[in-house]
Amino acid sequence: MDHEPITIDVEGRSVTASPGRSIIEAVWEAGHVHVQGVGCLGGVCGSCRAIIRRADSTEVKMVLACETLIEAGMQVTFVPFLERLSDHPYQIDSFKDTWQLVSQVNQTFPEAAHCRHCGGCDSACPKGIKVERGVNLAVEGQLGAAGDIFETCIMCNLCSHICPEFIDPNHLGLLVRRVVPSLVVRPFNLMQRLNQLERGELYFDYEAPEASTEERD
Amino acid sequence: MTNQLNQVLLHENNQVGSNLEAWLANGGGEGLQNALAAPEAIIKTIEDSNLRGMGGAGFPTYRKWQFVLAEKDAEVKYLICNGNEDEPGTFKDRLLLEKTPNQIIEGALITALATGVNHLILYINPHEEKAVEAARQAVAQWEAHPLFASVADSLGRPLTLRVFLSSGLYIGGEETAAISSVEGGFPFPKKKPPYPAQHGVHGQPTLINNVETLAHVTHIVKHGAEWYRNLGVGQASGTKIYSLSGDVLHPGVYELPMGTSLRDLVFEYGGGMLAGKEFKAVFTGGPSNTILTSEDLDVALDWDSVQERRSRLGTGAMIVISEGTGIVKRVTEYVDFFADSSCGQCPPCKIGTRQISKVLRKIDTGRGRRAELDHLVNLGKLLPGSGRCALVDGAVTVLNSSLDKFKSEYEAHLIDR
Amino acid sequence: MTNGVPYETAWQNYQTGSSDPVQFDDSSKESLLKQFHPDYQTNTTTTLQIGANQGDVCQRQLAQVLQSNSLIDEVDLAGASIVDTDVLIIGGGGAGCAAALVATENDARVILTTKLRLGDCNTVMAEGGLQASVGVDDTPQQHFEDTLRAGYFKADRKLVSQMVMDGPDVVRWLIQLGMQFDQESEDPFASLSLKRAGGTSAPRILSFRDYTGLEMMRVLREAVTYRPGIEVWRSKPVVELLSNEFGHCAGAAVYDMRHRKLMLVRAHAVILATGGIGRMHLNAFPTSNHFGATGDGLVLAYRLGAKLRELDSFQYHPTGVSYPRHLAGSLVSEAARSAGATLLNGLGERFVDELQPRDVVAASIIRECEEGRGIDWDGQVGVWLDTPRLEQQRPGILQRFGSLRHLAHKCGHDPAEKPFLVYPTLHYQNGGVVIQRNGSTSVPGLFCAGEVTGGIHGRNRLMGNALLEIMSFGWRAGVAAAGLRHNAPHRRLTIEHVHKWQRELTLAGLPLDNHGPQLYPDYANFNLRAHIAGEI
Repeated sequence: MDHEPITIDVEGRSVTASPGRSIIEAVWEAGHVHVQGVGCLGGVCGSCRAIIRRADSTEVKMVLACETLIEAGMQVTFVPFLERLSDHPYQIDSFKDTWQLVSQVNQTFPEAAHCRHCGGCDSACPKGIKVERGVNLAVEGQLGAAGDIFETCIMCNLCSHICPEFIDPNHLGLLVRRVVPSLVVRPFNLMQRLNQLERGELYFDYEAPEASTEERD
Repeated sequence: MTNQLNQVLLHENNQVGSNLEAWLANGGGEGLQNALAAPEAIIKTIEDSNLRGMGGAGFPTYRKWQFVLAEKDAEVKYLICNGNEDEPGTFKDRLLLEKTPNQIIEGALITALATGVNHLILYINPHEEKAVEAARQAVAQWEAHPLFASVADSLGRPLTLRVFLSSGLYIGGEETAAISSVEGGFPFPKKKPPYPAQHGVHGQPTLINNVETLAHVTHIVKHGAEWYRNLGVGQASGTKIYSLSGDVLHPGVYELPMGTSLRDLVFEYGGGMLAGKEFKAVFTGGPSNTILTSEDLDVALDWDSVQERRSRLGTGAMIVISEGTGIVKRVTEYVDFFADSSCGQCPPCKIGTRQISKVLRKIDTGRGRRAELDHLVNLGKLLPGSGRCALVDGAVTVLNSSLDKFKSEYEAHLIDR
Repeated sequence: MTNGVPYETAWQNYQTGSSDPVQFDDSSKESLLKQFHPDYQTNTTTTLQIGANQGDVCQRQLAQVLQSNSLIDEVDLAGASIVDTDVLIIGGGGAGCAAALVATENDARVILTTKLRLGDCNTVMAEGGLQASVGVDDTPQQHFEDTLRAGYFKADRKLVSQMVMDGPDVVRWLIQLGMQFDQESEDPFASLSLKRAGGTSAPRILSFRDYTGLEMMRVLREAVTYRPGIEVWRSKPVVELLSNEFGHCAGAAVYDMRHRKLMLVRAHAVILATGGIGRMHLNAFPTSNHFGATGDGLVLAYRLGAKLRELDSFQYHPTGVSYPRHLAGSLVSEAARSAGATLLNGLGERFVDELQPRDVVAASIIRECEEGRGIDWDGQVGVWLDTPRLEQQRPGILQRFGSLRHLAHKCGHDPAEKPFLVYPTLHYQNGGVVIQRNGSTSVPGLFCAGEVTGGIHGRNRLMGNALLEIMSFGWRAGVAAAGLRHNAPHRRLTIEHVHKWQRELTLAGLPLDNHGPQLYPDYANFNLRAHIAGEI
């Protein structure tokens, strides 16, 4: 392996680091402060998204900086946590009437009906979610199918930032996921246990032999 | 000097609104007659006139036409007369459409004869209601006029002429976006190739010309190429409509000989700077080009001369700013415009323009540091070419140019200057 | 760590393989831990010289930050604006969110401040699930006993009993908030699917796919964001707690990263929900933790006088990625070993029963590497986690492990073709701030919830109890903290306790130029002073 240091351009700063470093590690190794826009460092939180252009490439890509290795001449700009451009506040317990569910979802996210089908959300999604399809299904009222599409969403908000119609797709996706358990899911074993607890049928024995420490301590 | 104002397109005799009879009575229709007499000669005349696209690109009109003419086998060809006009500082097309729709339609018919297009679409920004109304009335009159039938006969194919309301979005003015729009969809720019001349509206050869370009065609074919060339100053040909705005006494639309100097436009016709302030800069050709400064006041406002200063004539918009106006704030506004206009298809464009805007705003509101300035330079290098259309490039051009010419003004805003 | 078997040789050994059944010597478990587990190494611990735990054993690096000087002086507070609230919550993970929601349900105004973004936390990375005794064959009593046993009977019974009894209610609450759990069928009334965690007497793990924490956190984050009465502050680390004239907790000094200034929050109650310490990289270990896990809460609480416990007990997860370097510490789920994946050293030999408790497996891996039988891959040392042979034995099994395959993809290999190079990774802080059942600490006005607390897991945590703990104690702390909202406002907002602390530091001969909490990992090059001054 080549051990010559590599220089990249990060937001106008020249950053020199050892090969095999991720973009974030390189910034740190070069002595720069970088404490915002870093999260799990494991590729699941979406904090460290960046736009890069490799040397001699015309392609500009969106990547996660914690898992993208540096290459000589690479240009990098971090995409900071941008303020939301639109906001769709709701309280989950205000969704009460299942007959009104679809219209209430649409009232909460009125822009969703204006989707212009640009596909920008799909190309921005680091998880490869069919965001646009999910939005369209939600508008049609296929809430279950829409929710399933957003199952692996990490809420990085990239689709919300890119959406030219201010739909907030990932938040719509989360709402349609939330309403189902909130209103409908009542698992049998959980209900049974809660009833037992309510009736005081489960007592507690601190001094049960199995809880004893004597032979262990 | 003022006798050079509004000689052709905006001549008072031509400003008859949608009234076709009045247009024909004032000498309209002659160009079309000439074209009908010798359709195959039109392109040569346009070539000799040096006419170039007035919508911003400045591409030689005759060459665009040749590409479409070359598609001999196509049964159907389209002409989109582009009057979408939604860029800050440009407000000439709406005036042409409102005051002189007939010369645009006549130009379109001449174009049809020259290139074989048979579906003519007046593609107009719906926010310009007067322009839409005038165009509609004019179209109705043309359709009923024998000249229209003559053109159809000459083409040997069915001829249609209609007004199409664009989305009113800036992006809809881009050629391929206009095609998407006419096809009934959202005005998304498309990847090139294929080029519109081969594969445009519904896959058919399509020509897209700015409405001002078409208006010029009418007069060129009427008076001849040499007459047209001689209208210009020096090497430049014809006239140009400049949209003058910003910190000048008399903002407005000025048709002047191509090649009129920036100084004359601002100080003679525009009445000089507002409130006696010093001239500082001009956003040439709208907000997506290189900024010119007081050193450039003597530049001739024609394609080549402006290009020699590494800027572009664009639509002919001249947004003038005085010493009292902040460059950073202005550039921020324009980048915001691009960010809002970005259609969403290409993540680097949408997010990149927003990012520039965010960093600019930080500097403009006194929260920026040297690192932010460096970041702008980085964005200016990273983003160009990252979209399928040139929108992001426009934002980057104005950013880079402002950094190049007014670095000290940026620096003055920094906390750690 | 000595050099191991060079990669090429080790790879050949791996391919040749040794199919001999291996005999493990289990009799020496204790000596194995003593010799190789980082917790048991004498050079890794020290004795605290000052504070509420004076004389107690503590991990060396942790002791250093616990006995650090404040980041600020009183003069820094001059000109700082004061914001009033009922409850101040520090930390934007699962515990902080639960506390915030419950506090507002109890009519308190809440400010939740986080040094990163809401939801940048360890909760979001939890793959396994949440323990709650809802099975027909299970009882809270069994959950209680399992938890105690796993923690070597060192846990606080009051806390554990309350937590296990809260379990079913926690699940109901999460479902009502809109969290999905795997069920036995599509039927909304179908029972929750239960999985068995190692060392438990009944299947009790509730999960959603293999990213339960992500599902939980995105629901909590949305609920918090939209809940009226909660103000969320991001990029605002707490640099010091504030005390009133009685030494009670009265609020916190918060640093606004964006505007580079300090501000004071006066609160009737403060809840520390700052999580763990992985990013302190104790004993130079890589970590599975998120970027913000620098143990700030422990430092802040200790300086204000709170009592801590089990400061020498940490969980090292046996299978963290070792190569490539930039992914070092990332977790390969225990599910791989549960399914039968073995561990092999550089000679191609198995060296431990992979289903032993985590501390034993981790110590065995360390033994192999320290004794030169690890694999040295471009300077990164570890042992093989043999996923290819698992796939050969049970074709298609890797398909079930989405997160594992994603991680392999990032490492640049196909898990069916090549094994992971793994090494133990610092995963969890077993101890922490001593709390009562309502999350209160020995300092009035100061509450704690989540990984920052101690006493729930004893000296070892059971899989799935972390997600339960943050909810259960987040609630409890939220309710108790909201209960203080009618108290008279604190008249004085001081850092008197810091002055007292500095006296103790000086008398003990400890350095005063050692400042804490750390806020961000060392290697991120952050320095509060330089940042305030605009130098960085």
